[in-house]
Amino acid sequence: MEALLTRHLEPAAPLNLAAYQATGGYRSLTAAFDLKPEKIIGIVEAANLRGRGGAGFPCGLKWRLRGADAPSPRYLICNLDESEPGTFKDRYLLYGGPHQIIESVIVSAFALQAERALIFVRGEYAKGGNALNQAIQEAETAGLLGTNIRGSGFNLQIEAHLSGGRYICGEETAQINAIEGRRPNPRPKIPRPSTHGLWGQPTTTNNVETLINVPHILLNGADWFRKLGVNGGCGSKLFCVSGKVKHSSLFELPCGTPARELIFEHAGGLDEDRTLLGFLPGGASTAFLLPEHLDVAMDFDPIAVAGSRLGTGSIIVLDNATCPVEVTLNLMRFFARESCGFCTPCRDGLPYLTQILTIISSGAGRADDLALLDELCATIASQSFCAFAPGAVMPLVSSLKCFHDHYEHHVITGHCPFNETNKKRA
Amino acid sequence: MSWPTSIAKGITDMNNILKGLQKDLLHLPRTHPKRRATAIPAMQALQAELGYLDDAAIKKITQITGLSTAEVEELATFYSLIYRRPTGRHIVRICDSVCCSMRGADQLLTAAEEYIRTSLGTVTPDGALTVLPGICLGLCDKAPAALVDGEALGPLNDASLKALLQRLQKED
Repeated sequence: MEALLTRHLEPAAPLNLAAYQATGGYRSLTAAFDLKPEKIIGIVEAANLRGRGGAGFPCGLKWRLRGADAPSPRYLICNLDESEPGTFKDRYLLYGGPHQIIESVIVSAFALQAERALIFVRGEYAKGGNALNQAIQEAETAGLLGTNIRGSGFNLQIEAHLSGGRYICGEETAQINAIEGRRPNPRPKIPRPSTHGLWGQPTTTNNVETLINVPHILLNGADWFRKLGVNGGCGSKLFCVSGKVKHSSLFELPCGTPARELIFEHAGGLDEDRTLLGFLPGGASTAFLLPEHLDVAMDFDPIAVAGSRLGTGSIIVLDNATCPVEVTLNLMRFFARESCGFCTPCRDGLPYLTQILTIISSGAGRADDLALLDELCATIASQSFCAFAPGAVMPLVSSLKCFHDHYEHHVITGHCPFNETNKKRA
Repeated sequence: MSWPTSIAKGITDMNNILKGLQKDLLHLPRTHPKRRATAIPAMQALQAELGYLDDAAIKKITQITGLSTAEVEELATFYSLIYRRPTGRHIVRICDSVCCSMRGADQLLTAAEEYIRTSLGTVTPDGALTVLPGICLGLCDKAPAALVDGEALGPLNDASLKALLQRLQKED
């Protein structure tokens, strides 16, 4: 497949406005302004563009559900706050081509008739955020932003918000709190952000990767977009492959490409040609999959059927020289540290899980600890306030299933079979 | 980034740093809901100049946002990129999440701690360095990676990390 979303990414020196326009950039504005907003939403719906931030919610449906009669001002938030371990696609997009993001936000905001858009940039990507601010100024000067853009009667202001840096700020309602200057814990989902979001106004949040598909859909049509995918997937997808592979990188491939092709063809196979133990298909908060799942299409539904989530489409590869208990412990440390602390099951439960896992990993675990972990995971996931804890326990629950023998080995023999290669930090 | 602290720089200086932000707030009434949204940009602006937020900086932010000290403190301590303690002239954040950890981040952190001869999160006696562990920096393709004053570096090993820390110590 020809690169689409990554075609004009230049991480060393991103294209300025003139150079971006010379490659055909901002052409989708003309296409968009010729159409009625509801028509654009219809096209995006027909294209079956699903949210790339992890949930896979249909983008067109999300836009339609907000309603055309939503009171002004209406907000569009472009979520560029990836912190999911294993995920670095937004970094490529931000550092490689800020104008692509701005173009996508303009046409999407037009479809939603949103007059204010915010791009929520991850704090660690501050340098990319600076370049984005410059690009926004360039676009403003060229009349691509502001009032009556290109005589369409559509007004739009874009602002970038640089995060203070926490994983939870990537959650839709926590992000709204963060922008408002409140403690960024998630809000109750009723009333919905689509009616009572930023400053109580209708707000639509989309992942940056979702939005950058919109210009291409407008220029080439919904049918064309759907046909880009393979094995039942729709469109182009950004995949990150990292962990124990030879060539860790970002790959743009048809949605539905199986993990086998990603790991062994594009990422060059495993380090030192070791054997694959398992992989996380969509970042840290997804369930482990095993070598038997290598041929499952990397698309939302097939991966869900296999028992995991496509998430951000970021594969983390484990080889047979890596201790899965150690890896799971690292993931749980991450989630325990990044819990926002708002609800008790998550705030207290995740450190408890981490503590038990630490004991198992050190060889001092007992056989009934494994059952305790399972029970705790079920309680924490069902009792917590937002989707953070259910996501956090997903790798642990699946790890206990997929790598049961490894856990048993730790508990029964009292030491890690990979002890030489995995030195623990106290 | 500068060091010593904002007390040495003085309140007048803080007014100067926040001039742009304060101008935007002039037309808003003191209780306007959007006033508090200035808190994070204000913290970032002050920290960029002062290195970290001391009590005087927190007080200054309460003045322009209309928030209480407790509310500003709540925000400041929530975020991992807002510092409430002095930092070195250079901040090295070493990723300790899953991909970097699989490629030796834990050992890097140990090596860094040995080199700086002080614990992670504190300032070296010469005021040059603060080394911190960090969550996934989005640099998994460069694992094990670090963010040095906002600049991405990786893959690192013990030797290249030590060389980096040495170079930073000599720099202003």
